[in-house]
Amino acid sequence: MWASFSATFNRQFMTMRRAYPWSFFIGHILDGVYIIIFAYLSYHFIFQGQLNKNFTSYTGTSNYLSYAMIGGMLNSFSVSLLMIVSRMLITEMREGTLEALLLTPSSRQGYFLGAAVQGLMRSCIEMIAIFSIGLFFGLKMVSVNALILIPVLSVFCFAIFSQALVLGSFMLVFRDTYITQNTLFVIMTLVSGVSFPPQFLPGWLHTLSCIMPLSYGLNLFRGVVIEEHWSGSMTQDLFLLFGLGVLYFIAGSIFIKRTEKTVVEKYFG
Amino acid sequence: MNLLSIIWAEVRKSHRHNFNNHLVYFSLFVWPAILFINAYYAFKPFNLQAGSPLARFVPFDKLGLFLITGYLAYIFFWSLVQSAWQMAYERQQGTLELLLLTPVPRIWLMFGRAAANLIEAVWLFSAFSLLIILFMGGVHVAEWWLVPVAIVLLVLSAVIWGGFLNIIFLFSRDAGVLYTLFEAPMEFFSGVRMPVLAFPIWAKSIAFLFPLTYVLTILRGVVMEGKTFRDLSGSLILLLGVLTVLVIASLFLVRVAERHAKETGNLTLF
Amino acid sequence: MLEARHLKKYYTVKEKTGWFSREKQLIRAVDEIDLSIDKGEIVGLLGVNGAGKTTTIKMLSTLLTPTSGTITVDGTNVVEQPNRIKQQVNMIAGGERMLYWRLTARENLMYFGKLYGLHGQTLTERCRQLIRLVGLDEAADHPVERYSKGMKQRLQIARGLINDPDYLFLDEPTLGLDAPVARQLRKTVKDLAKVRNKGILLTSHYLEEVQELCDRVYIIEKGHLLLHGTPERIIQTVVNIFHLQAVVSGQSSDSIWLKQELEKRNVQVSVKDSDEGKLLHMTASFDMTASFIALVAKQGLILKKLEATKPNLEDAIIKLAEESHAS
Repeated sequence: MWASFSATFNRQFMTMRRAYPWSFFIGHILDGVYIIIFAYLSYHFIFQGQLNKNFTSYTGTSNYLSYAMIGGMLNSFSVSLLMIVSRMLITEMREGTLEALLLTPSSRQGYFLGAAVQGLMRSCIEMIAIFSIGLFFGLKMVSVNALILIPVLSVFCFAIFSQALVLGSFMLVFRDTYITQNTLFVIMTLVSGVSFPPQFLPGWLHTLSCIMPLSYGLNLFRGVVIEEHWSGSMTQDLFLLFGLGVLYFIAGSIFIKRTEKTVVEKYFG
Repeated sequence: MNLLSIIWAEVRKSHRHNFNNHLVYFSLFVWPAILFINAYYAFKPFNLQAGSPLARFVPFDKLGLFLITGYLAYIFFWSLVQSAWQMAYERQQGTLELLLLTPVPRIWLMFGRAAANLIEAVWLFSAFSLLIILFMGGVHVAEWWLVPVAIVLLVLSAVIWGGFLNIIFLFSRDAGVLYTLFEAPMEFFSGVRMPVLAFPIWAKSIAFLFPLTYVLTILRGVVMEGKTFRDLSGSLILLLGVLTVLVIASLFLVRVAERHAKETGNLTLF
Repeated sequence: MLEARHLKKYYTVKEKTGWFSREKQLIRAVDEIDLSIDKGEIVGLLGVNGAGKTTTIKMLSTLLTPTSGTITVDGTNVVEQPNRIKQQVNMIAGGERMLYWRLTARENLMYFGKLYGLHGQTLTERCRQLIRLVGLDEAADHPVERYSKGMKQRLQIARGLINDPDYLFLDEPTLGLDAPVARQLRKTVKDLAKVRNKGILLTSHYLEEVQELCDRVYIIEKGHLLLHGTPERIIQTVVNIFHLQAVVSGQSSDSIWLKQELEKRNVQVSVKDSDEGKLLHMTASFDMTASFIALVAKQGLILKKLEATKPNLEDAIIKLAEESHAS
């Protein structure tokens, strides 16, 4: 597993250095920045800082700007990481290298992990860019406690990685990236509490947020950096996020294994 | 050979080619519908009760109508970006080069493509929007003859915009750039989900670069605010001005693109 | 030895018949195929498009699981221990696929090498050797996208050898290559089998290539095994027509005698006049050259020209295709 991890990491790194995927990079940053500007313009210019009472009671903060900006930031980060990992196999298929890869007796988990860790570099650069722009428009973090933040982010990355495995196998089944990924992304952005608390949504839509790692990630991240306290519900969220990650990981590994076979059949049969 | 026959040929081709897969309706219907819902709920954290500062720009009971007209007009423009993306596939399969081998004037081909894809791309979301509008009520029209005029203007602007994007695509190998530079800012700054009037100067100046901004002002003026032809004449003149600039730019760019392609042979590279 | 017994691969394909209706169809891509490859041997796998060649190769290389039947490599079952088999086999397909275009030749080989569990000095050394073997020394550190077709194809060979496999499957390796490049490649393939003792399975559309390289040939058609044997045997079994053209000088009576004698031996003969003498055109189901020369010598005639057309593998395949088409 280590060999295929490091090999894939290196390969992806070299590919990135040679042909940086600028349009995805800028696209992800802009998606985050638009959420930031939307929050800024709505808050200051349209609503003159007047919030709905329910907002404070749902979120426990009256800092709408930071709430929405962190939403945009983490949303872009998740989209970026999901795309990088989930598109791996289908890209191999399109470029004609999938068979050569499947011929080798290498670990698929190591392969995906290598891609994910390399992709994480890119996603982090994007997140930092969005973050800096957010600061300019009034993003305020009350506390940045690395001791809590690092484990939270690690669990979050694991859960997103696992979700990407499931997404990736759907892509292989549908032989499509564009529709599959964006359908997930628009739903994810709607239900996970990116720019408004999901409690505003009708009940059935609200329940959808339970299967999105992003919604737990946002609760935790906002809790840590805006609200500056660790509550019991956050511990629960952290465990739920981890559990969700494990579920997605198992489901994703099984799906990928299965679809790999059928893809070779369909594609070349 | 005239423009109509080219459009018809493109309609038949794109029907077989692009709409054969029903998944395409996700991007043309499901996404915009969800985006519309998302835009609606994104206002929920704010004060939407009587006396809301929003009322300075949009009566707060007409927020739904404001957003659905926004997304209706947006989907016209958005569908054409997707058709421009199809050029990327034509480029890969080498059929783009074949198209340019034919004696059809390039500019017709580019606008023809845009027009051909429009109807099939927008009918579903248009029907959805109409239902939502009827359901929500609040339509206020002063001069009914302006409604078809507004729709014709919407179609015309979308086709000109789409043709322009198709031509940009003759230069670029990367579909993402097109989206990043022209499409995402348009959804954001043209007033699809926020009243442009509320913008600060810098955001307004971006907004007025996009024809969608003027189309939306006119469309909303006609169906929501009961404006008359005279009220809207200013926006109309501005819209026609922007469209003229786009057509001239397209004419110029298509020449440059072809010359460029002949020199570098870059149409086959992808 | 690599052995496949009663190999079958069936697919169900859903055919779209309307907006929402679909029809299931069973496709027998491979149906009861037996084959074997020994080390040091080049075995051909022939058939027209859609015969099941690629599916067979995919099953042998662990990419596809057979519907039924067994494949063993030196006694190890392919389905049961795919990872062990993957170390022992590799596949090379024609065309420009199966390489990362943005990486250089060396980077490609290093990447795949690591996926085979190689590392350190062993890996670096193997990459260097393979690059030299396929003659890519100068371009080794250029990205593959700048390579010509032939260079990519040679790099494919190197990739296929990265795990030093005992058995190598070549799917149309010379597809679309220039003649000199293709010839060089054939030489490499021959050396791999004869010098480096690898078992090679080869599919190709260029039948001369197969005839030149292969020790044995399997011909399959619609998933079934049609024939198996050395190229010569196959030609003999399938195409039993030999042509011989000769010009002899002499009297008309001599040629009439010759014609009669040959026809007694079941040879069809036509005689024409030509500038240099009598032109005889002979057709038979066996090689009649020896008998003809004996007759000419016996009568004391002067043989001015002799031209025998031997049937080749291409004739055999065409005949087989025609027969199956007719049936």
